[in-house]
Amino acid sequence: MAVRPILGLFEDANYAAEAGDALKEANIPEEDYDFLTDAPYPEGAFGEREERHRLYVFPLVGALIGLTIGILMTSMTQMAYPMVQGGKPIMSLPPMAVVTYESTMLTAIVFTIIGIVFESRLPKTKQGLYDTRITEGYIGVLVNVEEDELQRVYNILTQAGAVDIVRDQ
Amino acid sequence: MAESAHHSSDMWVFPRSAEVTEFVTRKTFTRPGPVTLAMALTGVLLVLGIIGFVMKAAQHGFDDHTPWGYYAAMFSFVFMVTSTGPLAAAAFRITKSHWRRPLSRVSEIFGILGIFNILLFIPLAIVLPTLNNPDVGHHELALRRSIWFEGPIGSPLWWDLFGVIFVGINALALLWLSAVPDMAEAYEKATGFRRSLYGMLAGFWKGTKRQWLIHKAGMALLGAWYFMLLIFVHFIISSDYGQSMIPGWKDAIFPVVYSLSGFQSALGLILIIMFILRRFGGYQEYIGISPFWSASKLLLAFSLLWCYHMFSFGITYWYGRTELEQNVLKYLLFGSYGGVFAGNFFFSFVMPFLVLLWNPVRKSDWGPALAGASALIGAFLFNIRIFVGSFNAGNVYGEFITEVPPPVYPGLSDILIVIGGIGGAAFIYLLATRIIPIISLWEIKEGLLYQKVDTFIRGRYLVLAKPE
Repeated sequence: MAVRPILGLFEDANYAAEAGDALKEANIPEEDYDFLTDAPYPEGAFGEREERHRLYVFPLVGALIGLTIGILMTSMTQMAYPMVQGGKPIMSLPPMAVVTYESTMLTAIVFTIIGIVFESRLPKTKQGLYDTRITEGYIGVLVNVEEDELQRVYNILTQAGAVDIVRDQ
Repeated sequence: MAESAHHSSDMWVFPRSAEVTEFVTRKTFTRPGPVTLAMALTGVLLVLGIIGFVMKAAQHGFDDHTPWGYYAAMFSFVFMVTSTGPLAAAAFRITKSHWRRPLSRVSEIFGILGIFNILLFIPLAIVLPTLNNPDVGHHELALRRSIWFEGPIGSPLWWDLFGVIFVGINALALLWLSAVPDMAEAYEKATGFRRSLYGMLAGFWKGTKRQWLIHKAGMALLGAWYFMLLIFVHFIISSDYGQSMIPGWKDAIFPVVYSLSGFQSALGLILIIMFILRRFGGYQEYIGISPFWSASKLLLAFSLLWCYHMFSFGITYWYGRTELEQNVLKYLLFGSYGGVFAGNFFFSFVMPFLVLLWNPVRKSDWGPALAGASALIGAFLFNIRIFVGSFNAGNVYGEFITEVPPPVYPGLSDILIVIGGIGGAAFIYLLATRIIPIISLWEIKEGLLYQKVDTFIRGRYLVLAKPE
């Protein structure tokens, strides 16, 4: 059976949190529902699951790649063209530091941007179920359930105080 | 609104959350007469700048760097101010200050100018003299002094260019990430080009918990990178196009003064824009006095720091008294560019200090904006003094500056280039405000969750929630 979305709209954030509790009690898996808001509410405000992400890995990997490139590029250049300047050693750290710092930063930035796009699952090709009242401060509780569960979820959302419920056409 | 014996009624403002999107997007989509006029005026200036650039290129070409001093000063001024602009949003967000909310987007929109800065930088990349002296003469260095020492691969040209490009990319990424939720909201109300653009850039953002989490973490990371990269790029640009062009000038304080001038002038410009938005743009309900009051203290601190660093630079060279040090002082501070330095000192320190010294002035919208305008003029004079001076200091391969060169006054093409560069930057900023909401919708709404005015004993006070 196909999975269908259903969106409950709540004027009061407390009722949205209660809807989350009711869905949990009804054994709807936490991965199957989400809270849609127009501003970032504090983590755990709706009693929702803790989201895990790997965004911090991306810049770390990027920085390591850039650091390696920077060290290799500067050291190999200095070995290939050994020019003694001001009595300083061929492999001197200060000039290497300038280039290595920049290459590290550049790759860290690129990988961070890739990480943000990947981890936030953007861009999507279709909007999916949404309601513009969320931009006016309403809280959306979006539930993805099997078709035969739709009525049960509808009832849960209504009982929790949803002012309107939107279904996929 | 808050009312107490200590603060004016518009110190803190609380717009209605449900009306924020409607109000700000409507404002973004309209183009009032004064904005149209300003865009037309700045557009004309940009065209004049292009004409000046063509005149300069036709007359002098790109083989010699010396005729491009005013161009370098214009680039540096535009780059210094506009590249530092987004830092205000990033830094105040990391410190989790609530007063920054109306100021964030004003600051982030400067990110758009990253592209303009890259374009402006290309001629400078071409005219920069190579590190290796092509024809070593008597009392000349085979490799001129620079931060690149023996000149690792691609230096300084490519590393400078990459630095400017990535500052632009980082600033654009910050702006994009911050504006994604707002563009997704505005998408529903937009038509035509704006709707297509929002759809493409917002990628059907819905505001799920995961998206907000990544949004927050992403902005913290990009903000931190931006700070780390920007200071570095300020360092390499000010060193390669300023210090290393004056033979023998070695000063560890100069890059710091450059960055400080950037902080001061960018914050100053942000305060001017906020003042205009509040007084003439209809955003009184969104921009209270609080951001002016808070930012003015930072502006005062930057002004004091600027003076301290200039004094440190001056006293070290004055006390050193070598021929090189005396010549640098005579050239940049007291002789050739003495008048420009006097103006620089007055506008960067004396005037902001005298204006911001008074608490009632700091607690107004006009006072910090006035000090900001002064800091901006000071930064302009700073760039003229340093970069016109550096580009005309004589033989860049010399051991040190042996005589004090005379000042170089601008020709017609120089004047056109300077006004065109500044006008072009203003034009692009104004254009961006017609596409991207100048007030960060999500940030204002988030602030409304955490702030209210409540009674405590007999007084009415602002109550702040700190979720983290």
